[in-house]
Amino acid sequence: MRIGDELTPFTRRTDLENFNRYAAVNDEFLAHSMDDEAARDEGFPQAFGMGNLQWSYLHSFLRQSVGPDGRILQLDVQFRNPNLRGQTLIAKGKVIAIDDGVAQIELWTESADGSRLAIGSARVVAHS
Amino acid sequence: MMASLPFRQQEFQEEQMTQTYLTDVVRNAVGTECSRTVSYPIEASAIRRWALAVYWPEPAPQVFMDAEYAPEDFDPFAWGPASYESLLEGDDGSVVVRHGINERALGFPEWKFRAGLNGGMNCTYGVRMHVGDVITDVKSVGEYTERQGRNGLMLITQSISTWTNQQGELVKRTVNAGIRY
Repeated sequence: MRIGDELTPFTRRTDLENFNRYAAVNDEFLAHSMDDEAARDEGFPQAFGMGNLQWSYLHSFLRQSVGPDGRILQLDVQFRNPNLRGQTLIAKGKVIAIDDGVAQIELWTESADGSRLAIGSARVVAHS
Repeated sequence: MMASLPFRQQEFQEEQMTQTYLTDVVRNAVGTECSRTVSYPIEASAIRRWALAVYWPEPAPQVFMDAEYAPEDFDPFAWGPASYESLLEGDDGSVVVRHGINERALGFPEWKFRAGLNGGMNCTYGVRMHVGDVITDVKSVGEYTERQGRNGLMLITQSISTWTNQQGELVKRTVNAGIRY
């Protein structure tokens, strides 16, 4: 990794198939992730995915670049917009600093139209 | 100067301007350790299922199918703990709170919210989780703040979760932010 490198994007089309699989392993059967009507009752246009699932997607995104023997040391994420069902979610990021072998990554998820869904940062050690 | 508003709208606005979630009980609770939860030993099949679900529809990395170690985001408490103990005086621990903290046991007001959302997470990782590891999670109260949003007064909460393994090594420390309105 070098400063300025852009990490390989991680893309998923997110729909009920993704949300249900994640709910099954994480016992996270949230009504607003399963049912459009429940999401509308909370003020959203339709069902949306769990923040924890995006959190996992961001780990998967970082693993692509650090490799199986690399390490994620820290991840800090703020959710800004809902990951609506049917969206294509893309995780992206770039290396903004390297200090003593630890890379600082600026990262985010966005929908296909470029709207940011989550923003954050990570510290990783890549496998050399 | 505030423009004249229809009566109900004005009443609502005044209600929103004077209401606060941050009572003394809430403010004084910051830093309190609330619960200690112990997981069952981590199983290889749980690691595989987690990875298959998260990576779907692509295949999961072989390192997780071989269950050499668990993904950092894996939750060994997902389908219930081996034991749960409340650390709060007067709380018998009969109500198990997996995410966040037991606000009722802390004596917080019984708020009614329309929605509860995950605001974000900040996690620092230590050693990896492996098959057979038993993880202990100690939860404590983080900062509570409030902010006016388009849906009214929002309560923003932090719960702090510290995981250690059976050797007492730090697995991770997570600050979870919740948003309710």
